[in-house]
Amino acid sequence: MGESKTVRTVCRGCHGGCGVIAHVKNGKVVKVEGDPDWPINRGKLCSKGLAITKLAYHPDRILYPMKKEDGEWVRITWDEALDTIATKFKEIIKDYGPEAIFVAQGTGRDYEWCFSRFANLLGTPNVLTAGHMCYLSRTVVSILTCGNLPVADYAGNPRCIVLWGVNPLWTNPDEYKGVDFWEAYSKGAKLIVIDPRENFYTKKADLWLQIRPGTDAALALGFCNVIVEEGLYDRDFVENYIHGWDAFVERLKEYPPEKVEEITWIPAKQIKKAARIYARTKPACIHWGVPTEQTNNCTDYTRTAIALMAMTGNLDAPGGNVFYVPPPIRKTSELSRHDALTPEQRAKRLGGDRYKLAARAYFITPTVAWEAILSEKPYPLKAGIIVGSNPVLTRANARQAYEALKKLEFLAVADFFLTPTAELADVFLPSATWLEQNYVSESWKRHGYVLARQKVVQIGECWQDHKIFMELGKRLGQEWWDTLEDALNYMLEPAGITWEEFKQIGYLRGEMKYYKYKEKGFSTPTGKVEVYSTILEGWGADPLPKYVELPETPISRPDLLEKYPLILNAGLRTPTFFHSENRQVSWLREIRPDPIVEIHPETAKERGIEDGDWVWVESPRGRVRMRAKINKGIHPKVVVAEHGWWFPEIKDPGHGWDISNINILTDNSHESMDPLMGATNLRALLCNVYKEGAR
Amino acid sequence: MTEETLLIFKDDCCGCHACEIACKQEHGLGVGPRLIKVIEKAPNFIPIYCHHCADPPCGKACPVNAISRENGIVLIDEGECIGCKECIDACPFAAMQFDEERGIALKCDLCIERLKAGKAPACFSNCPTNCIFFGKIADAVSEKTRRILRER
Repeated sequence: MGESKTVRTVCRGCHGGCGVIAHVKNGKVVKVEGDPDWPINRGKLCSKGLAITKLAYHPDRILYPMKKEDGEWVRITWDEALDTIATKFKEIIKDYGPEAIFVAQGTGRDYEWCFSRFANLLGTPNVLTAGHMCYLSRTVVSILTCGNLPVADYAGNPRCIVLWGVNPLWTNPDEYKGVDFWEAYSKGAKLIVIDPRENFYTKKADLWLQIRPGTDAALALGFCNVIVEEGLYDRDFVENYIHGWDAFVERLKEYPPEKVEEITWIPAKQIKKAARIYARTKPACIHWGVPTEQTNNCTDYTRTAIALMAMTGNLDAPGGNVFYVPPPIRKTSELSRHDALTPEQRAKRLGGDRYKLAARAYFITPTVAWEAILSEKPYPLKAGIIVGSNPVLTRANARQAYEALKKLEFLAVADFFLTPTAELADVFLPSATWLEQNYVSESWKRHGYVLARQKVVQIGECWQDHKIFMELGKRLGQEWWDTLEDALNYMLEPAGITWEEFKQIGYLRGEMKYYKYKEKGFSTPTGKVEVYSTILEGWGADPLPKYVELPETPISRPDLLEKYPLILNAGLRTPTFFHSENRQVSWLREIRPDPIVEIHPETAKERGIEDGDWVWVESPRGRVRMRAKINKGIHPKVVVAEHGWWFPEIKDPGHGWDISNINILTDNSHESMDPLMGATNLRALLCNVYKEGAR
Repeated sequence: MTEETLLIFKDDCCGCHACEIACKQEHGLGVGPRLIKVIEKAPNFIPIYCHHCADPPCGKACPVNAISRENGIVLIDEGECIGCKECIDACPFAAMQFDEERGIALKCDLCIERLKAGKAPACFSNCPTNCIFFGKIADAVSEKTRRILRER
């Protein structure tokens, strides 16, 4: 019998947060279970978390650094890998300046400050993330509007819950894990669901609004209109804590329910009913998902949603949408060293003049990066490092992303597997999974927690991403710490504990206080909730939110309807996969073996399509092959497709990246994006679907 | 051991499949046999699982008496199974599974090893909506009533 032990740690199958008890036998993790005493998941884990052993010990996983030599991958040491990258980066900096190097991550994986610090100390403003259309976009707009991100307060016992474009028991892990929603719902809260598809929640809901994809901002404005017209707002809050109310009310006159019905396809009667339930039931919270951000109205949806929370008095009220108080650890902004990026370098941020909100947050929209690589305008991007991201699958206009990454003079990628993106690299760095790292997890900080993710095992020569940034940074003369533990101790110092002590404690929670604005106001220029944004006004942008018809819909492009009569929502999430991850994890792939496009039975019948048929989904930008699933719960004019599909079982270096990749169909042109954020419009495009072999 | 049963209130099944992976992990299964399985018939979900029938058709169909019921748990003796698949045809719930590698039938054992250790079945313990009921049959009726009353 070998040695057996259990280790208490924190999952990162998504952004992370759930407590885990990992069972180790003979130095190998044999089983993971949800930690019943953990406040976030209370003993539950999702399929992704439970399948970690199949990912961590997968035979295809790369366990040592590699470089490409004459087109073949060869094993090298960490020293050689880091020296190769550092030498190349120094050459590029000498010839073109640090701005010619981009630093990229994908969705948030709990190393944001290390990532930002590396880029800032390198001196490049060209930081690529998913933030232009996912979570960071809502965060930066929230800060602009009310000083912080208002999170649904399930702990405060809401009596009304609005699920807006979100499936919390499957995904949306940055806003919430599902158990909190379910508990609050089970206590009897009223439920309003806004979703283009009938689903688990719509069947539980008191009211389901079947929205035309992408029109969320119009619906939010319509709700505000009803609440104002019917006098259902909180007068005290409006008088004392809202800036620009009169101008906002004037703007709302443009969005009567009847007009909003035309835009959203939701009957005016239902819009009024939902607005009344939300405004009259106290407290009420809005739990929102990424579809609201993945349109050209990204900024204005978020502003209007916050206006709804504010005018009904639900902002920072128990059971409403609140600003949780994080524990007193070192501030992310300080660790990120945003101060180290000089104004001269900051001014060089690609697209910074145009996408001002993205620049305000610190990131760029991918379009400007691909353009700078391909056309070398306004200056050439020559090299990059990508950590935990597969932009060839997950960014709009995937063909452009692929061509751009292929053209780079030098690319380093850190990941678990040789993904289609990693295959384009010159150096591959093997990243550690969440089982293999020590970190003060900040993924739940906006919910008031920091969590001790402690290392359970070492697998191969893999390094956690924090260490990759740190050791590479040191080779480039950057200021970091001697060891990772020193960095963790520095993070924890304001809380008065060390990493060793934190591991024993498990997590820290900030002391929650509601209605903080009554003492300190809101952290905006006027100290109030700015439904009329003074910052946007200063930039010459529209200070008030509005709805702009999406660039490619039956309304804006009737000329395309003959060829592309259907609306494509290109972002269906699944419970088993996280973006482009997990397609090689046998347990998960068995459940969802194929890329799915959901289609209404009538629409399918017109096209001779039956459940399970392989079909082509085609937009003006190309076509991809997917498997039809008949769903009577979606609108006949709408199809919904999964994203992130590649095929690890295809062994050539492309791994089938262009077969079922829905982002080959999406658009990333400047005209199609949110004018301030650079959010790509992934949730409403025009398309057609036809049976394979039908043409 | 008092007779306990497992049943699923399918209206509360959100289709997350976490029960399936918890089961695979608990039983060390690879691809193929799915002792609990959720089928998506959009927008509905249908859980497929062993009901541990009082008079199990799988047991009756087995030509070598490899299937028995003890303390309310229908078990298969893997050493006795000859892989004839009669039980798979007989199961009215489509819950019997087949392990192609070993050439034998497999089924839910209600996590008997966990029960012996005083723990509930893995699928039950992991369900985020608590749609899986595990307990005495009589209590299942009151649980059903409680869930209906919650519907508004």
